[in-house]
Amino acid sequence: MTDDRHKTPWIERKGNLTWIHRGLWIACAGLALADFFYHKHTVFRIEEFPAFYGLLGFIACVGLVFGAREIRKILKRGENYYDR
Amino acid sequence: MIAELPPGLILIVGALLIPLLRPHLRPYLMLALPVAALVQLLTLPAGLHAQVDILGHSLVFLRIDGLSFVFGLIFLIAAVLNVIYGWHEDDPVQQVSGLVYAGAAVGAVFVGDLVSLFVFWELTAIASVFLIWASRTERAYRAGMRYLLVQIGSGVILLAGVILHYRATGSIAFDRLELTGLPTALILFAFGIKCAFPLLHNWLQDAYPEATVVGTVILSAFTTKLAAYALARSFAGTDMLIWIGAIMAVFPIVYAVIENDLRRVMAYILNNQLGFMVVGVGIGTPLALNGVAALAFCGILYKALLFMCLGAVLFRAGSARASDLGGLWKSMPWTTGFCIVGGASISAVPLFAGFIAKSMVLAAVAEGGHWIVWLVLLAASAGVFHQTGLRIPYAAFFARNPEIRCREAPLNMLAAMGITSLLCIAIGVYPAMLYAVLPYQVDFAVYTASHVVTQLQLLAFAALAFSILLRHRVYPQDVPSINLDSDWIYRRLLPAFVDVYRDGLRMMRFRAIARAQVRLNRFIAAVYRHHGPQGVLARTWPVGSTVLWVAVLLCVTLVFYYIE
Amino acid sequence: MIAYHLPILQIVVPLIAAPLSAFCRRAGMAWYLALIICAASFAISVALLVRVLDEGHISYLLGNWAAPWGIEYRIDAVNAFVLLIISGMGTMVLPYARVSIADEIEPHNQALFYTCYLLCFAGLLGMVITGDAFNAFVFMEISSLATYVLVALGAKRDRRALSAAFTYLVMGTIGATFFVIGIGLVYMVTGTLNMADLAARLQGLEQNRTALVAFAFIVTGIGLKLALFPMHLWLPNAYAFAPSAVTVFIAATATKAAVYLMLRFLFTVFGTDYNVLGLTLTYMFTPLALAAMFAASTVAIFQFEIKRMLAYSSVAQLGYTVLGISFASVTGLTATMIHLFNHALMKGALFMAVGAIVLRHGAATIDSVRGLGRTMPWTMAAFVAGGLSLIGVPLTVGFISKWYLVAASLESGRWPIAVLIVLSSLIGVIYIWRVIEAAYLEKPPEGRTAREAPLSMLIPTWGLVGANIYFGIDAELTSRVAGAAARLLLWVAP
Repeated sequence: MTDDRHKTPWIERKGNLTWIHRGLWIACAGLALADFFYHKHTVFRIEEFPAFYGLLGFIACVGLVFGAREIRKILKRGENYYDR
Repeated sequence: MIAELPPGLILIVGALLIPLLRPHLRPYLMLALPVAALVQLLTLPAGLHAQVDILGHSLVFLRIDGLSFVFGLIFLIAAVLNVIYGWHEDDPVQQVSGLVYAGAAVGAVFVGDLVSLFVFWELTAIASVFLIWASRTERAYRAGMRYLLVQIGSGVILLAGVILHYRATGSIAFDRLELTGLPTALILFAFGIKCAFPLLHNWLQDAYPEATVVGTVILSAFTTKLAAYALARSFAGTDMLIWIGAIMAVFPIVYAVIENDLRRVMAYILNNQLGFMVVGVGIGTPLALNGVAALAFCGILYKALLFMCLGAVLFRAGSARASDLGGLWKSMPWTTGFCIVGGASISAVPLFAGFIAKSMVLAAVAEGGHWIVWLVLLAASAGVFHQTGLRIPYAAFFARNPEIRCREAPLNMLAAMGITSLLCIAIGVYPAMLYAVLPYQVDFAVYTASHVVTQLQLLAFAALAFSILLRHRVYPQDVPSINLDSDWIYRRLLPAFVDVYRDGLRMMRFRAIARAQVRLNRFIAAVYRHHGPQGVLARTWPVGSTVLWVAVLLCVTLVFYYIE
Repeated sequence: MIAYHLPILQIVVPLIAAPLSAFCRRAGMAWYLALIICAASFAISVALLVRVLDEGHISYLLGNWAAPWGIEYRIDAVNAFVLLIISGMGTMVLPYARVSIADEIEPHNQALFYTCYLLCFAGLLGMVITGDAFNAFVFMEISSLATYVLVALGAKRDRRALSAAFTYLVMGTIGATFFVIGIGLVYMVTGTLNMADLAARLQGLEQNRTALVAFAFIVTGIGLKLALFPMHLWLPNAYAFAPSAVTVFIAATATKAAVYLMLRFLFTVFGTDYNVLGLTLTYMFTPLALAAMFAASTVAIFQFEIKRMLAYSSVAQLGYTVLGISFASVTGLTATMIHLFNHALMKGALFMAVGAIVLRHGAATIDSVRGLGRTMPWTMAAFVAGGLSLIGVPLTVGFISKWYLVAASLESGRWPIAVLIVLSSLIGVIYIWRVIEAAYLEKPPEGRTAREAPLSMLIPTWGLVGANIYFGIDAELTSRVAGAAARLLLWVAP
């Protein structure tokens, strides 16, 4: 009751979320750079593109969410749609 | 004879004894049954056992080889975990049907002929529907009905295919089938329904989330994996399946993003995981089939784990809908941890179970040179991570509002989740353990720098995308809603057609009767005017008209013969 | 010795037992007597069928009068099979009937009910077993008169049973009269009444006008008896208002005996040499059968009372039977014969389930079955199983019947008919589904006390359901006997 800082868990404190976000940026950058320091075992040519996997993951997720937002406009119905 | 007892039968027969016991003794018997079946399975040598000759055909109830062994093994492990998870549940209906269902699935895995397969196929359908009905709500009742119709339909189609196949070839062996004509196409279709192929899939998302807390966990393990096994057994290397699987791996994720009920989100993700397996079956090389078996093995564990966590949330917080949940990590720290393990496993984070299995399928696809499918599967695995590794934990446990306070899950649930988590991690850390039981010799190194870094890259960037989208509030909001899916066809379109047909006929009939009645009444009134009191006319007119018909028919035939 | 006299015992035993049961003062005793007699009859018909399958046909001369003059009982695979259906169903119904009859018929009439039941039973068996045309008419009258009484006994539950019985009486009498007129005309031409003898003497008379007129009368007369569409109007009311046990019995047997007579006269007596036979089959039976399949099924969709709905469905099913006849091929007649058996099983099971609902709720309407899936689970499950069989789902006998019918239509090159058969089955789905929907998806009305039907009704019902499934899976026996019968009718060597 006396000290609010001990009541609020670390993860809910303002600013820490921003740190997590920045940490992600850094981790991504590090992993992208790592691509240049080991022998990548590839099957397809496209894999040799730097940070190919990362970019694919990023694009897939963004595309997925934007695609889903559009599709939702068509498919969304009220919760009792079938019970009517 | 006792040495050849099929493990599935132990479960089925034993389950029927459960209601005879006192309630507090039942869980012990329930635990003993799958354990006994496991022991039985481990002592049986490979080969064909328990053959029965009926009408000149040999029914094989026990065929133990590499493929059936690994599926049977994981089914029995899942049965054990389910019993622990449902320890607190005192509902004989669920207890019996859950074990009979597991037993039927185990039985189906070990049969060697299509007729016995059909019997167990239908038994899984019938036994499992009670897990849905056990929710005892009107909604669950209707969903269960639809589920039952689809499942029984799958069995009927399977039977039709088997009969035609038998007529064409004279064989009822449950082995590799060539997709050449109608018979095998029907069999593939029946497998496809149970495996939730695109457009045949919706029974899954419709019914699973309506089952009870324990029921959904049980359901998630068996039916679809049985279908994947059947496909791997009969249709390995069928090219068509590669494309079907690729579509299956993608479109459910889109639905998952916009779905609000987290258990339904998981049902869509389950569907997507099946897509990976179907692709593997379609490739059909030893590496791919090993991947399918490994994916089924790990998949049953981590999907059960996730359903268990969501079940625990539903059990304690009273809802599993994203829009109702949030902040649970403080109340349910253990469940939160297990859910993250499950999410990490399904997203194929290195050192967790999914990684070692999914890598095999992806490697097999790349080896086969199917680069489009390969890209699709990679993108899909990023999507899976995004949904189950990030969104489910976030929505249920970390979202800010609403903040829910409740108790941690019961001890037995925690135990089941804990054991499953341990298994997921153990398999991820020591893959050799799982690779030893796969159907083919494994010659695959999973922990190479290349595999690990590329996978981490994929996951990290996906997480970044999630974080960015969330911060910019682009992410679709969780609101109570449902989304149209292929079930719309039979829940809305077909009934509408039937109504139109019925109404149309009714109108036509009314008009025709009205018109005919006017004429008939005049005629009849004239003939039967003296035939008495009220109502008699209405009752006697059939006599008159029938006699008329008799006369007409007689005359027509006579005239006919005369001309002839 | 007894083995030799089995054919006559088949008839005489129930015929003598009928008046005896009239002396029983208590219904229980009459029931017991009837049960023993019917079971004995069933045993006899099984023995006869076994013998026939072994030895070919059996000819039994009544009082040892030589054949064309005296009356001959002539049993071959065709009528042995029908005898089995009738005596089997007659026996199955009795255990079921006791509770149902005690509930639906006034106490002082109950003993008499069993008298009429035995008379009807004996009449139907006689119609089928005899090899003498006029004797067949006599037995037809015995069974019909008994049936009118049986239907009228439903008056306690619903007064409309009386008018239904009256209608049935008028129509049945007209049918029988036509039949006897036909026989009279044939007698005029040939001077004989023995069927085998008739068949021989009618050879060469293909152009004889009298014989043709006789043919027309006989076909129309029997057509009325078997409720050939559109001469079926007596049937729905009779089935709907008769006591439940009676409905089960006559639905499973009466029309079957008529179909048998039709087959006998068409193929054995007149034979395929007659041009008019082909004409009748193609231009009369085929369209009427198709009309029955669709019109009657469609009417069934709109019925509110389930018994009536099933009665209309029976008219449609008779359409399938007649359709099988109209192909005049071995496969077609096999379909007809096997459907006689299968339809007895499925309609028996369905009407029994409905009878149980009537017992508990006083009526069986779409309204009164609401929610019964939960309160009478066994009865409704039996109904569903019977319904699936009626629709023709694989693993039930209905599927076997449809299979042969479709095979016959494809074999004759008339594939549109095969399509129509499948389409008409789909209409069946609709009316069965209405009941299932009401029973399983709707809530029971408030304040209804519900109990499951008594075991004495459930066991025979489930016995029939079991038979539906057993013979749906293992159709070897039925198709063998039906096939043998079909070949006999068409004079094809086995």
